[in-house]
Amino acid sequence: MVYLDYSATTPVLPEILDSYNKVTKDYFGNPNSLHSLGTKSKELLNEALKQICDIFKINNKELIITSGATESNNMALIGTALSCGKKGSRIIVSKLEHESIYGICKYLEKNDFIIDYVNNDSDGVIDFEDLKKLITKDTILVSICAVNSELGIRQPLKTIKQIINKENPNIIFHSDMTQAIGKVPVILNDVDLASFSAHKIYGAKGVGVLYKKNSVNIKPIMYGSSDNLRPGTPPLPLIVTLSKALRIATSDLSKKEAKIAKLNEKISLSLKKYPKILINKTKYSIPHILNISLMDIKPETFIHALEKHQIYVSSNTACSSGKISAAVLNIYKDKTRALTTLRISLSHLTSNEEISVFLNAFDGIYDKLNKLN
Amino acid sequence: MKKIIIIKYGELTTKKDNISFFINTLKDNIKNALININHEIIFDKGRMFISTENYEEVVEVLTNTFGIHEINIAYELDNNNIELISNNLLELLKSKEFNTFKVNTKRSDKNYPLNSMDINKKLGSLILNKFKNKKVDVHNPDLNINVEIRFNKSYFYFEKVKGIGGYPVGTLGKGLLMLSGGIDSPVAGYYALKRGIRIEAIYFESPPHTSLNAKNKVLSLARELSKYGGYVKVHIVNFTKIQEAIYKNCPHEYMITIMRRIMYRISERLSYKINAKVLINGESVGQVASQTLTSMRVINEVVKIPVLRPLACFDKIEIINVAKNINTYDISILPYEDCCTIFVPDHPVINPISSLAEEYEKLIPYEELINEALKNIEVIKILKENKKFDNIL
Repeated sequence: MVYLDYSATTPVLPEILDSYNKVTKDYFGNPNSLHSLGTKSKELLNEALKQICDIFKINNKELIITSGATESNNMALIGTALSCGKKGSRIIVSKLEHESIYGICKYLEKNDFIIDYVNNDSDGVIDFEDLKKLITKDTILVSICAVNSELGIRQPLKTIKQIINKENPNIIFHSDMTQAIGKVPVILNDVDLASFSAHKIYGAKGVGVLYKKNSVNIKPIMYGSSDNLRPGTPPLPLIVTLSKALRIATSDLSKKEAKIAKLNEKISLSLKKYPKILINKTKYSIPHILNISLMDIKPETFIHALEKHQIYVSSNTACSSGKISAAVLNIYKDKTRALTTLRISLSHLTSNEEISVFLNAFDGIYDKLNKLN
Repeated sequence: MKKIIIIKYGELTTKKDNISFFINTLKDNIKNALININHEIIFDKGRMFISTENYEEVVEVLTNTFGIHEINIAYELDNNNIELISNNLLELLKSKEFNTFKVNTKRSDKNYPLNSMDINKKLGSLILNKFKNKKVDVHNPDLNINVEIRFNKSYFYFEKVKGIGGYPVGTLGKGLLMLSGGIDSPVAGYYALKRGIRIEAIYFESPPHTSLNAKNKVLSLARELSKYGGYVKVHIVNFTKIQEAIYKNCPHEYMITIMRRIMYRISERLSYKINAKVLINGESVGQVASQTLTSMRVINEVVKIPVLRPLACFDKIEIINVAKNINTYDISILPYEDCCTIFVPDHPVINPISSLAEEYEKLIPYEELINEALKNIEVIKILKENKKFDNIL
């Protein structure tokens, strides 16, 4: 099998699965119970949370465990809307967000919030002037992803935060960091709220994080026995896998990135022989994602053909499969280009041999499907 | 030029005769603190130099190490020739953004042909010539250009990171900290560490009246303190029998006085055993009934060992601020019962009388109970890193 869809999800690392199993079996006590089984779980819980806080240099009160990035995005956007709704009703998002952000925006629009979409330049970076123009005294929230999930375009969050602060310091700045964590260095402190998932960094599915800066107040969207933003019994085995996954994923970032950049280059070079194939990439794209447009060939057909060789890639994002690629359309203004994208996403676990197998299969399939045209 | 971290010693430079002992202890403490980071240390009587690739991590560790006055990330030049110094400095400045600057030169080599003022002037005029529109501002410059000329080497740095001062932990010997789960005692421990005292801690538990959570809380506090000393040994004394005996047999208004007298006795005897020279606790004058001056005297008189009370004259709010800074506050306020919060009398005596305390404590066989408690002490060595869950996390 050659798996090249790491931006959709990642396999769970064996050592992370081991921890999951061990904790499920040996630490089943509820961390909130008073007895020693509970205390044993609580101790592990605290240590797992502390490890996450240490990695990001944040305070334990700033860390909220959720079921994943989509829930974190919901808490961030709806929670801010609930707490700041009286101050204003405008929310700014980029045109390069993950589907889940737009879904929440639709819901908020139905509830009388106004969504402003900030432009980006031809490299995909937020247009700072447009952002300044859009910020009003009614703006309560700006949400911009750290790395776009289709083209891997990375945003300068710190600069964006500075602009926001200058224009209206009351605005809360949220960033969906799901595609950034474990790929590029991130500083949570650059934003007010941040979301990400464990399953993109070789952890289990069903667990993620909402980072909330101490000074920021949002309203809960779930209620339960505690007054925490996210009530419920902490899913200790999942939290442990999240903590371990983060520890592993955030180490040696530059070494991993260098390896991935080489693999990316190998594919890009090989695809150059097909004049029709276009590579969708700007100078701010991270090497982990290689997005191409087949132009003449339907990506679905290509994906299924590759699948026969046990090779797995995406068309655009897993969450918007089958639709037009909004990001590619946005950058290149070319509908065909946006309708025929393949997203090849790489990992440091990907080997050179796997890329050779992929390219070999690619050549065969491309020749065959191209002739049909 | 390679990057290097320069450490300037704190108050220890005033200790003439045992300066090498102080510096060596500091070096050992730094080595222990940096055990997981690749680094190399060289030092002389004035400075310590650390080579590493992980500057940020190392600086972070150093800012939690007592005995350091200042930390600089510097560029090292393997020469002290003034022409080479000038050329290299001008090269470095190309990447710096500034409008105004000041040159501060120090030379430890007093035979160097130019004195500090000469060098300042020479480098300053070279910078003014080379970069247009830059000005000298000796009071509030955008860029402080620090040049240090040492034997055969010179260093440039632009920023100073403040160290936390104090003496290297261990240089003043050992003390035993009476550590409860409260806000004060960890802060007292911090101050003792700051003055170079290696601390071990004594904790009194009363299971099942106090829980495992309460014990873990104290161990977490010890872990925070171990960041400054590398490790903290915690001696856990089972106090249940003693506490129950006091509760059953002694007048309740004297309960706390007698309990504290027995805790002091146990602590003193443990100190002798582990060679600790002083007791340290978080008592602050007037804070509770057992901390009035009369109470302190009646409690303290059962021991001969000196008792350090670093917080004696602090306001509670001052203590809380320090606790927040050293990350112990959030642990301290976890709501688990400890020895001092169970069996609390309604009206503890504020001005206990020594002879009465003596009379009342004779109602229980305290010598026997103390000996038994001392025999069953559990010792846990707490390290900076929690290795307990290493294989899971």
